[in-house]
Amino acid sequence: MTDIGTVKLAVPGSVRRGSVARVRALVIHPQERVERQGGRSVDRNYRFVNRIVVTYLGREVAVIEPSTSVSENPTFTVPFRATETGPIKVTFTDSHGVKFEGTAEVKVT
Amino acid sequence: MTSPLTRRAWLGAAALGAAVAAGRPWPARAQGHLANLAPEESIAETMKRLFGGRPIKDGAGLISIDMPLIAEDGAAVPIAVEVKSPMTPESHVKAIYILAEKNPRPLNVKIGLTPAAGQAYVATNLRLADSGPVRVVAEAGDGALWIASRDVRVTVAGCAA
Repeated sequence: MTDIGTVKLAVPGSVRRGSVARVRALVIHPQERVERQGGRSVDRNYRFVNRIVVTYLGREVAVIEPSTSVSENPTFTVPFRATETGPIKVTFTDSHGVKFEGTAEVKVT
Repeated sequence: MTSPLTRRAWLGAAALGAAVAAGRPWPARAQGHLANLAPEESIAETMKRLFGGRPIKDGAGLISIDMPLIAEDGAAVPIAVEVKSPMTPESHVKAIYILAEKNPRPLNVKIGLTPAAGQAYVATNLRLADSGPVRVVAEAGDGALWIASRDVRVTVAGCAA
């Protein structure tokens, strides 16, 4: 996977002021799962997204803590109340401390 | 012949191990070690670890779980959860926990929400190790807990860990 870390965000084209919209965020990531050998878990530094922070207009909307049992290329859809035109930002952090960010502009009418 | 590892020595080593674990020996870039993951345990142990002895009410009328009845591929099972809540600062859902009963580490994901979300909703894809119930626990801002559950049949296991 050469494009690890690519973040894609999907938001509606325009949102009515005060209504609730949803952002779908996806990161290309292996989200490694724990390997087992002889019935025991193998200890190594598994690489998986373990923290996702969603902010809208700089304010925190959601903080997600995935485990290794979230699918490869983790995707999450979360809601936000649209109040003003501005950016929604999603930051994925993996267990190796690497951050992947995506931003989308929310147009409020 | 006596064992070279006495009970006292073993207890000392175990205590040292616990102290090191509590001190988070791994830097931020090395959080993927088993010591930093949830332990392999039963769903009952996970529930106890997460919620202690707090009462959990039946949330079947409050929590809706949208999942396929039969999941062909356990490696990616879509789930959408919605909890009825006004999502005001006074009354909102502050966290949604998704737990798969048959996974070796049952907690799939914890979603923390703020009133700015406007709605208590989340959708994602889960890894499921086997057929069984998927539980959703909603935690209100005041700490009250509700639970709902959905049975899913998994055709090909997702080898969830």
